[in-house]
Amino acid sequence: MPRGRTADRPATGIALADQTGLRARLVARDEAALVELIELATPWLLGLVQGMLQDQDEAEEVVSGVFATAWERVGTLGDEHETLMPWLLRVARNRAIDRLRRRSRLRRKAARLEAYDAAGPASVPFHEPDESGQPGWHVHRSVHAALGALPEEQRAVVQLAYFGGRTHSEIAEELGIPMGTVKTRLRLAFDKLRASLAPIRDWVP
Amino acid sequence: MTPHDWYVEHRAAWVAGSLDAREQEIFADHLPRCEECRAEVARLERELAWLPMAAAPTAPRPGLTRQIAERVLRRPPAWRRYAPALAAAAVLVAALGLGVRERRRVTEVEVLLAQRNLRLAALEDTLSVIRGAARVVQRDISMDGHRGGLLIFQDETSHRWNVVVHGLPAAPAGTVYQFWFVTESGMVRSVELPMDRGRPAFATVSMPPIPAAIMGAALTVEPMLARSDRPEGREIAHVDF
Repeated sequence: MPRGRTADRPATGIALADQTGLRARLVARDEAALVELIELATPWLLGLVQGMLQDQDEAEEVVSGVFATAWERVGTLGDEHETLMPWLLRVARNRAIDRLRRRSRLRRKAARLEAYDAAGPASVPFHEPDESGQPGWHVHRSVHAALGALPEEQRAVVQLAYFGGRTHSEIAEELGIPMGTVKTRLRLAFDKLRASLAPIRDWVP
Repeated sequence: MTPHDWYVEHRAAWVAGSLDAREQEIFADHLPRCEECRAEVARLERELAWLPMAAAPTAPRPGLTRQIAERVLRRPPAWRRYAPALAAAAVLVAALGLGVRERRRVTEVEVLLAQRNLRLAALEDTLSVIRGAARVVQRDISMDGHRGGLLIFQDETSHRWNVVVHGLPAAPAGTVYQFWFVTESGMVRSVELPMDRGRPAFATVSMPPIPAAIMGAALTVEPMLARSDRPEGREIAHVDF
């Protein structure tokens, strides 16, 4: 169970039916809509970023920054196909990768990195907590299943590249395989994931 | 394999963010110029948009969402956040502009001062010749009905003379007033004296570096640009010491 959640904590109590036009309300500077978005999206952004950074403080900073950006720029999301939740996830992942690379460059947290490296690369938690009341849980289940359906060697490359912020050469070195193999596995994995994830629709209107 | 195939093969890596730094640069450089790659990357990103939700949710610690909301809502708008920096930049630009202008003025003043200093040094030098003169020679001269004078201050210490001519009209067209030293071995050409401003002409001249004794001086009217070592024109004054 990820830290911070108590076993009997009720799932975020916002019915999907009440969330109509969240993006439009955000654009209209509705502060209540922002609070709703934060309640809805924080667990997912935190899960993603904390999984990547393995650092709660940094993860909270990143997530807070993502919402600040969302509040500031939601009106500039011109593309009608750009849905809110994927946008937040993308911004969060990019910032987490930036942090990972900066951390790697500057070696600011050498001690923590040593422990982190000793424990193995970051990975998406594959435990199956009963969070079925969590809005968006159905999406997680679908994505989780799609990722789980990948051959182990392809999933490992996706884990390291997409969620671990590793480069091709780092992955090749870490897994002891040629760089060309890393690229091929990533491409094959993405082809499968595209097909599996295509039917998913946004759950934050 | 065409060069473009490389980009096709690396689209997935671009979306995953796993390109090495150099590859990242190359791909980023290519993307704005290739509509096909842009479209494919956008499609890939769209189709993989939910992939981050493979990560299990993490419940925020108590109070975090409220803190985030407060932080975001209390955050001043971008223009206000950047206002101090913009104001500082404006002040800096203005200061730089002022600095450049002031620097230009300082340079102008420095040039003016240098010119004044040179002029002052020349005047002091002229005065020192006059004040240090061991001999002063004065002669009345005339030219075409104009009456004037020739004044020579001889400074033996610095071996220089200060020559003043006044009262003469401008030299006839194509001619100049020429000053000469008269030595034991003949005439030695010295300076031209302009008389076209209606004011006395001054010149500080060095005595010729020849061992022959200087016996006098002469003022003649010579053709302009004449370079002869003896006078050919009309003599206005001849002084024997």
